[in-house]
Amino acid sequence: MRLLRPGVTPPVVVLRTLLLVLPCAALAVALPQVPDGLVVGGVVMSAAAWAWMPDHAIGIVPLALVAAWWAVHGVVDWRLLVVGVLLAAAHVAATLASYGPATLAVDPDLARLWAARGLLALVPLPVTWLAVRVLDPALAPSWLWLLAGATVVGLLLLTARLTRPQTQ
Amino acid sequence: MTSWQPTPALVRACLLGIGGAGLAIAIGQEVLAVLSAPFVVLAGAGLAGRPRGRPQVTTRLDHRRLHEGQGTTSRLEVDDLAGVEHVTRVAARAAHVASQPTYGSVGSLVATGPPTIGLSPRRWGRRDVGAERVALTSPWAGWRWGPVHVPATSLLVLPRTAPYDGRAEVPQPDGLVGRHRSRRVGSGTEFEGIRHFATGDRLKRINWPVSLRTGELHVVTTRAEQDAGVWLVVDALRDIGVSGGIDGRPSTLDLTVRAAAALAEHHVRTGDRVGLVVVTANGTRVPLGSGPRHLQRLLGTLARTRTDARSTPPERLELGTESGSVVHVLSPMLSTPLVTATASLQRGGTSVVVVDTLGDALAVPDGAERLGLPALATRMQKVERDDRLRRLAALGAPVVPWRGPGTLDTVLQKLARRAQVPRVRA
Repeated sequence: MRLLRPGVTPPVVVLRTLLLVLPCAALAVALPQVPDGLVVGGVVMSAAAWAWMPDHAIGIVPLALVAAWWAVHGVVDWRLLVVGVLLAAAHVAATLASYGPATLAVDPDLARLWAARGLLALVPLPVTWLAVRVLDPALAPSWLWLLAGATVVGLLLLTARLTRPQTQ
Repeated sequence: MTSWQPTPALVRACLLGIGGAGLAIAIGQEVLAVLSAPFVVLAGAGLAGRPRGRPQVTTRLDHRRLHEGQGTTSRLEVDDLAGVEHVTRVAARAAHVASQPTYGSVGSLVATGPPTIGLSPRRWGRRDVGAERVALTSPWAGWRWGPVHVPATSLLVLPRTAPYDGRAEVPQPDGLVGRHRSRRVGSGTEFEGIRHFATGDRLKRINWPVSLRTGELHVVTTRAEQDAGVWLVVDALRDIGVSGGIDGRPSTLDLTVRAAAALAEHHVRTGDRVGLVVVTANGTRVPLGSGPRHLQRLLGTLARTRTDARSTPPERLELGTESGSVVHVLSPMLSTPLVTATASLQRGGTSVVVVDTLGDALAVPDGAERLGLPALATRMQKVERDDRLRRLAALGAPVVPWRGPGTLDTVLQKLARRAQVPRVRA
């Protein structure tokens, strides 16, 4: 009996399985504290949909749900680093799986390239985590927050302009 | 018109990275600041890699004319690859065309060269191949061009000609040049005998050993070399059975076309003049000719053969054959009018050989109900056909099932012997 659809290679199945498993694992790191049933259901369902369609905007939902749950609970211990790695890994796996249809074999050169990029993207994670743990926000001058806010707004505007459809 | 569009991966990274960071600052959420940090990098790199070009995508086949079973490569040509990191091609499936990779999806980094798709037609005919969708992706998978649709191109697939190698000669060759032995003595190279010298004989024909031994001049006589006119009549009225391509079971039309191609190639290589008549709704006719260009014309005509439901069989086969021509009728012989037309041709004095191309198209499949309606109908059709073939053979037209190399050797040798027998005309 065939387990895979014709033309689908095992590496593609592994990538899509990661899309289902990694967001759930990021939520499971909270154990023994059990998240709300709605959150668990939402993450599992949206992660399953994402695994089915890696090139779909639904991928934002499981990542945002997990990040929101951790943000609401305000946990800033070592588990946050693990969650960050798992979410970034899920994003990289989805990106790698979204280069073509399910019958497109994973290019080893492309996989190596994205592995390196994934590691590079993880560099600011421990830096930010350490900054959050060590630095006291109350000591920062008020203009710093204004500057940070303005920078983010500027980045958002720039992003909106760049992603605007081109006029023909 | 296509333009560079942000990928879902970039949108995701932007929302999680920049959106998350903004929210973290706005509401003072430390966790969001930490979790969004990797996505800020991914979003920034993706946004920065936006290409500015407007690439034009075309594909090119290495060959436009192939024999079935041969292969060619479809190559992608992109005029502007600036800012492009990855190319994905997804080829549409075409009937009777195998592709490499099997499911037609292929992608590679631009640095390692654009991906190619191997194509191998598995059945003769005109095949539309190369229809595909192409997507170009920028570095960090931020932007995508397409997928754009690339239309198919036509590929003419000639029938496989090998293997056929007959050693028998055409029964009554006629013409000026060729490789068949004539029944007449002439200036060829084929030894016929030794006789006394006569006035007019060329001196270089004198056989000196015999002349010295006998004391009288003797000359060597040879046979003239002549070519033959060969007509191939291809029955394209019906196609029975499902074609499995070159690797599977052939349909009757597959067998007919491949046999005709093999015979055409064999006779053209032997130096004979070969003509072709395709019996179909708008019957095609290629006059007698010889040489490699004529062979290509014959194969091209065979490759364009198509059955048509409107086809009606002819009552007579008007070939305009000269004496000495031989006619090969390639048919599964399921049409009574075609059998009648063949019989008329035979009665007219032409050497006719029927090449039976039914194969096992009427075989009852294993496990089929023996007394079921389809099995009974098939058996009745076979009985009627066998009766027609028996009557055709009684008229003197041999019927030979197509079996590849040497199929016609015995039959043509018998026909040649029969042609040498003196006839008494009323």
